[in-house]
Amino acid sequence: MPKKVKTTVEFEGRVSEILVDIPDIETPLWGNDAELDIVGHPIPRVDGDKRVTGAAKYTSDILLPHMLYGRILRSAHPHAVVKSVNSSEAEKLPGVKAVISAFNTDPIRWHGSSSLFDKTARLVGDEVAAVAAVDEETAADALELIKVDYETLPFVTDMEEAMKDTAPKLWPNGNVVGGKPSIYERGSVSKGFAEADLVIEETFRTQTELHTCLETHGSVAFWEGDKLTVWDSTQAVFNVRDALAAALNIPSNHVRVIKQYMGGGFGSKLELGKYTVIAALLARRTNRPVRLMLTREEDQMNTGNRPATLQHVKVGVKKDGTLTAIELKSVNANGAYLGGAGCGAPYREMYLCANVRTEEYAVYVNTGRSRPARAPGHVQGTFGLESMMDVVSRKIGMDPLEFRKKNYATVNQAQTNPKPYSAKLLDQLYEAGAKKIDWWNRDKSRNSGDFHSRKRGVGMASQIWGGGGGPPAYALVKINRDGSVNVLSGTQDLGTGTKTIISQIAAEELGIALADVAVDLGDTETCPFSGSSGGSTTAASVGPAVRTAAADARLQLFEYAALELKVKPEELSSRRGKIFVKSDPQKSLPFKEAARKAGNNMIIGKGFRGPNPDGYSLNTFGAHFAEVEVDMETGRVTVLRHVAAHHSGRPFNPLTMTSQIEGGVIQSMGYALSEQRVIDPASGIPLNMNMENYKPMTALDVPTIEPILLTQVDEHCNTLGGKGIGEPPRIPAAAAIANAVADAIGIRIRELPITPDKVLAALKSSVPSHKV
Amino acid sequence: MRAFEYFAPQQLADVIHTLSTAGGNARVCAGGTDILGRLKDGVDTPDKLVCLKTLPEMRYVRESNDGVRIGALTTLSTIEEDPIIRKSFPLLVEALYVTAAPQIRNQATMGGSICQRPRCWYLRGPFDCLRKGGAKCFAVDGENKYHAILGGHLCYIVHPSDSATALVALNASAKIQGSKGEKTVPLEKFFVGPEVNILKENILEDDEILTEIFIPTPSAGARGAFSKSRERQSYDFALASAAVQCTMKNGVCAEARVVLGGVAPIPWRSIEAEEELKGKKLDPKTIERAAAAAVRKAKPMTQNIYKVDLTRQLLSKSLSQIMV
Ligand SMILES: Cc1cc2nc3c(=O)[nH]c(=O)nc-3n(C[C@H](O)[C@H](O)[C@H](O)COP(=O)(O)OP(=O)(O)OC[C@H]3O[C@@H](n4cnc5c(N)ncnc54)[C@H](O)[C@@H]3O)c2cc1C
Repeated sequence: MPKKVKTTVEFEGRVSEILVDIPDIETPLWGNDAELDIVGHPIPRVDGDKRVTGAAKYTSDILLPHMLYGRILRSAHPHAVVKSVNSSEAEKLPGVKAVISAFNTDPIRWHGSSSLFDKTARLVGDEVAAVAAVDEETAADALELIKVDYETLPFVTDMEEAMKDTAPKLWPNGNVVGGKPSIYERGSVSKGFAEADLVIEETFRTQTELHTCLETHGSVAFWEGDKLTVWDSTQAVFNVRDALAAALNIPSNHVRVIKQYMGGGFGSKLELGKYTVIAALLARRTNRPVRLMLTREEDQMNTGNRPATLQHVKVGVKKDGTLTAIELKSVNANGAYLGGAGCGAPYREMYLCANVRTEEYAVYVNTGRSRPARAPGHVQGTFGLESMMDVVSRKIGMDPLEFRKKNYATVNQAQTNPKPYSAKLLDQLYEAGAKKIDWWNRDKSRNSGDFHSRKRGVGMASQIWGGGGGPPAYALVKINRDGSVNVLSGTQDLGTGTKTIISQIAAEELGIALADVAVDLGDTETCPFSGSSGGSTTAASVGPAVRTAAADARLQLFEYAALELKVKPEELSSRRGKIFVKSDPQKSLPFKEAARKAGNNMIIGKGFRGPNPDGYSLNTFGAHFAEVEVDMETGRVTVLRHVAAHHSGRPFNPLTMTSQIEGGVIQSMGYALSEQRVIDPASGIPLNMNMENYKPMTALDVPTIEPILLTQVDEHCNTLGGKGIGEPPRIPAAAAIANAVADAIGIRIRELPITPDKVLAALKSSVPSHKV
Repeated sequence: MRAFEYFAPQQLADVIHTLSTAGGNARVCAGGTDILGRLKDGVDTPDKLVCLKTLPEMRYVRESNDGVRIGALTTLSTIEEDPIIRKSFPLLVEALYVTAAPQIRNQATMGGSICQRPRCWYLRGPFDCLRKGGAKCFAVDGENKYHAILGGHLCYIVHPSDSATALVALNASAKIQGSKGEKTVPLEKFFVGPEVNILKENILEDDEILTEIFIPTPSAGARGAFSKSRERQSYDFALASAAVQCTMKNGVCAEARVVLGGVAPIPWRSIEAEEELKGKKLDPKTIERAAAAAVRKAKPMTQNIYKVDLTRQLLSKSLSQIMV
């Protein structure tokens, strides 16, 4: 029996202590000098061909015999009592097989005290009823025939309005989540401000960003007797299974959740969705499979968002650049149901400062609910903090980069007993990035535009994030009699390359070719448990488990090889398809030959993720440098260059790592320059639930992104020496761009996105100064 | 999407017949890039959809002594790549090049781009607005960042078409076919503001379609330029645009047509700016005066004040391009 110990794990900023086994199979750290054949090499996606040829099956590709199509009727009002739902006309429409609502189903609890079909709608888009029909058009037509009697209630969509006593209340205890702000304090900020030579205050605002996954949310549900199978576009098959079983009051082993391929989640697909339960209910009622994929409008409206923020920041600083106090008071738009909102973490962690206080309000408003969005909190907070650091450094006449280096933190100050970072090479990232963008000559850039109508500027920002991963995560490695290998793990590849990295790790540990490894993920019935794919934790959580499973399988195979080579199993090793005697590598046997010897004596290696190291804080760091050009006549900002330097320990695969960086920067460019949910204030109806007026960047907007990867191994984090990279590149990009804009035009735009109207208004009303 | 009857006639006469018997409840579909979205979003619910793509005779770019004729079904990318157009009307080519994106230009047609409906999010959303026969314009007290600063009257949509803006500057005319026969009108007169008709953007009757665009040969010394501003570099409508076509004689601007896009319910011809240019040397002072004149009557709302400066700047930019 493996020994149980306690360990600390972190997921999207939330830290918890859990019980964990210590693997009894030792897999020593792959250090800087490890000779690796596959891990760390630029391996193209193992399933890339399937994705680009259309062979890959996404949830919306699942087509079952007799399948019906589900659609959801959503509230047209931001706040209303649903007094009755009359579906008789809809049911008469030929092809309609079922209509469900609060009035003909048992209540299923949701969001605490709410329910699946709540009789109070709290946002435009809340679920009111659902239809299953023979095709999507019929289902859509049926929605129009359902008559809902609403009693409309006063509503509030603006978070600052919602905080006022006079505001309509969404919940009996008022609109402030938990009734009070969440407060953190270390040291004493009043003492810190007193010690400062200069105290500076600024206010920053960020917009509501929508995840805009290319594949909308949705599920296919299929009952065989009392057993439910669900294909779901999800970041967490086990979360969905367990919550679905609980919602339907059936055992977990009666629910199978499958996710093969998916088109993005970014945090919005970490939990069971109402659409999944609705699909299951409709399928049970009709006794036919039901596919329910949300439309783009529904997806933008009610599957989550990065909440808007208001950040009042106050910083105390000495003339020599020493930070004496950082204070944040923030308001965060939580949406109508508890979703998680706050942006203070970067303020608490990024810079060395003894006196820090954050006071954060999350506020209920009659709009879509906030969800984790690729580096939740950190993206908003880093825009505020890193804009502020620019303001402060310029005010005291210090170079922004030097100022950041001056306040460099080497321990995680937000912890009660601050632990050192397991690997923080941010100083090297600063140097590498600065060199690439030519930071020290950036005045040249500022003067290189056509001076009247176009101005250029350079800005930078840095980033901290978790991403160390941790237990529990499990994997199985099966060696077949022909020497081919199956890896099974209940994690999921969101399109990020998890499958590829797992293949690499298994092949490396086994000492065989990548082509001999097949990986199956995302199936709660065939795969052992792994956690949700979020928080940049997947590779560092699942990877070591896969490696241990492979080591276990390899040891079992060595027993057959040892008989053949007449040595003890411990004397063997394997590499490049061969099992050989360590002391005499000439004495060897092909891996496949050993597998043949084992025959149908099944080799199943089992692996699980061991504990995180005590005594270290596992984090990832990055620094971005952007060069922009601002058209002074039209107010348009063009990003000319974007350098993104990152260190997450060993890059498992430089190609997948680079594509995470590129994708993160592109999303952040939209956040910085063009994306913003718009809600009509008078009606509470969202106005831009499409990609025409909600504007992600296009290929023409994006410059060549220049990633810098530091490859040094993190010797403490886990046996692979690497951590996550999914979220880090999203964090500092917008702040770097905003700082570059301020550098270019001499006026700071304190509110995202930096659209032409804001730039033109700023140019008109302010006198540019290079102390921005 | 509401069910409708679909027609794919072989002859123009059949199109007109179907339209004239539908009592206003038929729409034509050319490239479909606009109408299909409206049908799917339920903002338009016709009984009949008449496909024009099966008509063989409306795809052409033809040159004659007096100018160039473009069939209504010619795709925007065909026009953009046509050597005659490229030679004689760079202004139009510039406008097409910044229209939507190549995929859409491969599908969208000349007629469709001129007859496309406004993108106002109230018009295209679940709002019973004036242009849909309702009681008010929701943009006035609502989200009006993208709305009109000129020519608004009860309704404040902006005309979305870049090509129309360019074509009005080029003094193009439109050939219209209906059950009463054929007629030709200057494109400028084709569009109508809300003060004339709040329900539609042009003079087409229910039984009429646009069949051809004619652009007269520019006089010697004519020069054109088009500038557009948007929030991203592709798939984005104009925040504002400025098309200018000037005829230069002995360094003096003999004739000028100035048309603004994205700022008014119709492609907005600025007579005020033209007056400032006529008979003048195109120098920075004249340009500044003309640009200022163009927006002098602007009446911005709460969120679109920026369009005033933007329009002025874009017009200066277009005029400066001509000057060089
Ligand atoms: C994402 C996106 C971005 C866009 N960006 C831009 C942009 O930047 N600039 C711009 O100018 N446009 C833009 N557009 C709009 C695009 O130019 C129009 O959708 C297109 O030109 C319409 O042409 P179509 O042939 O597809 O028209 P359809 O969709 O077939 O028809 C459009 C309308 O015109 C009517 N119609 C079509 N042909 C005729 C005719 N011959 N006579 C009478 N009525 C007719 C139809 O009944 C319909 O009401 C964009 C569209 C999209 C979807």
